[in-house]
Amino acid sequence: MFVETGNMVILTTRTLVSAVRPPYPYGGELVEQFYFALKLCWFPLLISTFALNLGAPGLQAAGPLQVFGALDRLGGFFVLTAIRWIGPVVTAVVVSGVAGTAITADLGARKIREELDALQVLGVDPIKNLVVPRFLALMVVTALLDIFAIVFGLGAGIAAELLYHQSLGGFFATLFSNASVTDLWGSILMCTIFGAIIAVVCSYKGMTASGGAAGVGRAVNQAVVISLVGVFAFSYVFTAVLLATNPELQTIR
Amino acid sequence: MIGWLDAPRSWLDSFGEIARFGSQVAGQVYSGRVLRFFGEGIRQAGILILGSALIIWVVIFILGLQCGLQGAYFFRAQGAPAYAGLFSAFCDLREALPYAFGYILSAKVGTGIVAEIGAMRISDEIDALEVMGVPPITFLCATRLLASWIALPFIYLVGIGIMYFASYLAVVNQVGDVSSGGYQLIFWMFQSPTDLVFSMIKGMAMATVIVLVGCYYGYTASGGPVGVGTATAKSMVFNIVAVHILGMLGTVVFWGANPRLPIGG
Repeated sequence: MFVETGNMVILTTRTLVSAVRPPYPYGGELVEQFYFALKLCWFPLLISTFALNLGAPGLQAAGPLQVFGALDRLGGFFVLTAIRWIGPVVTAVVVSGVAGTAITADLGARKIREELDALQVLGVDPIKNLVVPRFLALMVVTALLDIFAIVFGLGAGIAAELLYHQSLGGFFATLFSNASVTDLWGSILMCTIFGAIIAVVCSYKGMTASGGAAGVGRAVNQAVVISLVGVFAFSYVFTAVLLATNPELQTIR
Repeated sequence: MIGWLDAPRSWLDSFGEIARFGSQVAGQVYSGRVLRFFGEGIRQAGILILGSALIIWVVIFILGLQCGLQGAYFFRAQGAPAYAGLFSAFCDLREALPYAFGYILSAKVGTGIVAEIGAMRISDEIDALEVMGVPPITFLCATRLLASWIALPFIYLVGIGIMYFASYLAVVNQVGDVSSGGYQLIFWMFQSPTDLVFSMIKGMAMATVIVLVGCYYGYTASGGPVGVGTATAKSMVFNIVAVHILGMLGTVVFWGANPRLPIGG
């Protein structure tokens, strides 16, 4: 386990170094991977984020708020849920489950068919040509999909308000008075790092797949488990640091 | 434009096939035909407990910390830090626990089943089973469903305890705005045994779907080692969407009309 973690850190460093070192042959692959991840992820993300935001913060919080007669406060609550917590986490879960597994399956298949070794023999660096474009593309895609997730999460909040026959003026008023730029940037920064974690873990697991037919499947299995644990652990640390160092997020307006 | 609609269309397509396959497997369990292979079912349950329980609990623990943290800071902002228990009671039992369970189950158990059964399919072991007169759906899929119904409720119950402990740690020990007794008063006030049963129904519905989806994609894998990897990836996509939809439906059905709060008359 520790050896694997170390290897992933080594892979991250090598990826970062070869991403900035001059020959940049990965432009086309970068665009292709970006488009590929976006095409795979948008539909699952749309359904997931809407369902999760309608159920968890929408209806569960609307219950108590209705008892207190303060349903307009749901907008302020959605800053916490849709922007600060659920948006990034759902995006990470969907990206790791959809794009991450596809990356591992793809690279694992190439490894099993010994294409990666062939590339190396031909003098093509697999890290520069395969891992770097995936790494960069996934970072950007996860950050962009986070905005998408926030928008649809707020849409779910609006749906919850409408289910309780509430006018939307109060929702938007408390939403916009409580939302802050720090929250939004925190959310997007968190998602960018999620994308990096997912890309490194999934590329590493794909590039080290072994053992024939069962091997690729097992690699995908381990990749998604490790990236989920990594994402959840990182989101806890990040949220704790963000909330503790930004006291202005803790005032209600 | 067609490329963008590929995902929803193929998703709907496979939904019907999975429903048919799943009802077949569930029928094998309900009719008791799976009891012929009861020993295999127990073995699968053992694999589930030894292989997956720990990682499920680790993820549940981390999400419990998150729940406590968010609740503590939210209620500090409201000026009522003592009520952090309200948030963590709702978040832990009703929402985050089923979702965490569903996420990690689809990642660990669902894709694991696809990789395992898919490898068997690729190396023609399933055909060999059929030739030997062993019904493969019963032997491979129904036993796994039985195993998940035997083992997962207990893993879920232990997970509830672990999540409560994690939220307690985050609210009382990490943020520390509220005393232990004050937190627990509110925390236990806002939940009831009925909520626990509802939460468990949600979690078990997710587990059933995940195991069936895993069995389907593994059983129908094709195209060599690459095919197994692709099938594993596809099962994960389907599982994530299914977990979220089941979670929302559960919330709407169980707590949508009646939030079950000990407030007012």
